Amino acid sequence: MAVRREKAERLADEELMPLVGRKDPEAFEVLYDRHGGAAYSLAYRIVGNPAAAEEVTQEAFISVWRSGARFDAARGSVRSWLLSVVRNRAIDFLRSKAGKAPKLDFDDESALEQRPATERTEEEALRRETAGEVRGAIGKLPGEQAKVIQLAYFGGFSHSEIAQILQLPMGTVKGRMRLGLEKIRGELAEGLA
Amino acid sequence: MSDSDHKRWSEDLAAYMLGALTPDETAGFERHLEGCERCQGEMRWFEPAVNSLPESVERQEPPPRLRAALMTEVRADAKPQRRPAKQRSWGWFSKPAVAFAVLVLAVALVGGYEIGKGGSDDSGGASTLVTREHGITVKMVRDGDGGTLHLANVHQLPPDKVLEAWVRREGTVEAVPALLVPDRKGQAETRIADMSGVDTVMVTEEPQGGSDEPTGQPIVTMSVPQ
Repeated sequence: MAVRREKAERLADEELMPLVGRKDPEAFEVLYDRHGGAAYSLAYRIVGNPAAAEEVTQEAFISVWRSGARFDAARGSVRSWLLSVVRNRAIDFLRSKAGKAPKLDFDDESALEQRPATERTEEEALRRETAGEVRGAIGKLPGEQAKVIQLAYFGGFSHSEIAQILQLPMGTVKGRMRLGLEKIRGELAEGLA
Repeated sequence: MSDSDHKRWSEDLAAYMLGALTPDETAGFERHLEGCERCQGEMRWFEPAVNSLPESVERQEPPPRLRAALMTEVRADAKPQRRPAKQRSWGWFSKPAVAFAVLVLAVALVGGYEIGKGGSDDSGGASTLVTREHGITVKMVRDGDGGTLHLANVHQLPPDKVLEAWVRREGTVEAVPALLVPDRKGQAETRIADMSGVDTVMVTEEPQGGSDEPTGQPIVTMSVPQ
């Protein structure tokens, strides 16, 4: 049964997913309204231009529409899963454009600043606050750790490619990735304390 | 598993979580992960850090046309999916109290309908069933395997509502593909392609675009003699 928009809005993401799996457009629409902004922002961050970000976001959401049943609640939140779908699509897009360098902002502080935008809901406001903390956590990383994390996550480079790019031993690259994630995790835990 | 074995794989954990291993390395790591509780524990610890990375990006507003394009595609894709109600049970109909109420109503209607043009199936040609409920005149004109459901004196619907017809066949319900949209005179009709085995026809008010199953009580119910 297709649920009405008002009912869908009251459902948690995890409750919407089975409806999306049963091809309910209202449930899908609510899902997009909740996470479309973050998805598009992530796609834009990776591919570096609005037209490509639009294409990637559309493809990602359509793949979610067609495979909504594949979401496994035991493996994390809907938002994280959805953003990982967007990230994978965006990286695939970059790789398909042979010779196109990904957009990377290694040490550009302004790239980590937040553009003012309408805060529609309390939840969104909380997310933005969390995003601010995360930016803070990443901003506190030593440059070499932030660089390998950004090359991997936003650039889609493998550790061996990063080692080549930065002319570092592979073990050093892996070590910096781990140290960087440990520090972000530590900062987040402090923020929650 | 030895400490050194775990340590070797553990070095790959962050790269794995950042998607920075090659496909072969990923497959190898996942095989190890399956049997390594320490790595599983470390992964759970790192997860919030990795999940926070997409949240750290500068916020961009997606263009409204993206939402419009997505919803157009999704709604077009949903329409063919929305109809295979044959396998579904008649949810509200199966509830005992409602089923009893509908049964009573159906019995009352069976007594009330008229059969026109020489009766039902034994006429060998078209037959007509007529009934009236809630001020709405309902007429089912049978021809061949199918029939046309006509409604008259239908009240004006809110703009976000439509009328949807349903047929019950062997205990399961099917949506009639074409929705009923009343005209200014309060008349509406829809074609039911296959009436074989149908014992009940009903109409409900549904949200724009229709539903997969009836979402409310029928405004019209017509029993069809076999």
